[in-house]
Amino acid sequence: MTRHVRDMVLAFVVAGLVIAVGNWVGYETVPTEALPGLLLVIGISLAGVGVQKVLPGNIPTVLYVAVIAIVLSLPVTPGSTQMIAWADAIDVQAITTPLLAYVAIGVGSSLADFAKLGWKSVIVGSGVFLGTFLGSALIAEVVLRLQGVV
Amino acid sequence: MLSRLPDHLKDWRLHAAILAIVLIAEFIGPLSLSIGPGMLPILPMIYAFLLGIALLFTPVVNERQSKNAQPITNAIILILVAKVSLNIGPALDIIVQVGPAILLQEIGNLGTVLIGLPLALLLGAKREAIGMTFSIAREGSLAIINDKFGFDSPETRGVFSVYLFGSIFGAVIFGMMASVLAAFTPLDPLALAMAGGVGSASMMAASSSSLSALYPEMAGEIQSLASAGMILSIATGFFMAIFIALPMAERMYGLLTRKRSRATAEEEDVRE
Repeated sequence: MTRHVRDMVLAFVVAGLVIAVGNWVGYETVPTEALPGLLLVIGISLAGVGVQKVLPGNIPTVLYVAVIAIVLSLPVTPGSTQMIAWADAIDVQAITTPLLAYVAIGVGSSLADFAKLGWKSVIVGSGVFLGTFLGSALIAEVVLRLQGVV
Repeated sequence: MLSRLPDHLKDWRLHAAILAIVLIAEFIGPLSLSIGPGMLPILPMIYAFLLGIALLFTPVVNERQSKNAQPITNAIILILVAKVSLNIGPALDIIVQVGPAILLQEIGNLGTVLIGLPLALLLGAKREAIGMTFSIAREGSLAIINDKFGFDSPETRGVFSVYLFGSIFGAVIFGMMASVLAAFTPLDPLALAMAGGVGSASMMAASSSSLSALYPEMAGEIQSLASAGMILSIATGFFMAIFIALPMAERMYGLLTRKRSRATAEEEDVRE
């Protein structure tokens, strides 16, 4: 159990190091400045994993992580402005760039499986994604305009 | 001590490769392609993805690295969700204000069925089309289809194929769609931000970071709406899929295939 926790923490440390380097090179934030924000988001993630393990039901971990982050960022939470300022030192792109690098390498053998599915799946898959995205965006746009928000 | 570490933490080749990719991608930085009236930004994450795929064809990475990439990927996804969700608190007023839009845009998910299903049938898919197009095919959808039609069914094969496609290309496609639609359509960045929430966490992150790069002054609002949209999609998507989208896909399949078989039957009549 403790070893499991340690390995989990270490996976986040590896992720954090890569993010810190990208944030430094691409967004000119020195790692010492990004450190509090990184520790915060890693802490929230670990808390989410812990809560998911403890609570019953098969609710996705991302939902717990999001809820914890939201609660911490509420104006009524003491120190919320400080925490948000720490997190702001990390550019979201400094996280998405290594994410997509890991995703690409993680594809590995499924690339062969995917090749077997053929071009039809690529076209239908693209249609599905475009349909969902565009459908949602259009409805959101119409409602926002009706409300006079945009 | 070190020998007891799991392989994904000891895989120095993997982490060195990732670090090299990140350095190259961030060093190049974002590029802008001007196409017609708009500027299409190509972000470092896009090169990072392409460089990673390219490495798969070299001896630098093999099966071991691909397997070991998974646990770190999961960690980064959680970090991303924590990061973007920290924008929600200060933006609560805006989220309450646009609440109706976030709720209603869930209906936009049905665009999947309306566009995808006819397309799949046109390309010759049969019942696979139902699994392929009733949802955006994330984990929850696999469970629903598997439960209803069984593992060895055409519907399950369909949902798996789009799931696999999404796992590989989902984030990249969402990032590109957000950039393209922001640059070339009058859609508001806030509407696009919400739409980015319909898929997985990495898809949401990719689309919201594309939008944040285009509208840096709105980055906080964009990320908070994307995250709120994603949370709502997770909470409602499951029920939406079971009670509305899946029945709709089945009915539409019935309708389209009946019409088609009647049309072919009539053609045969004429020939006779």
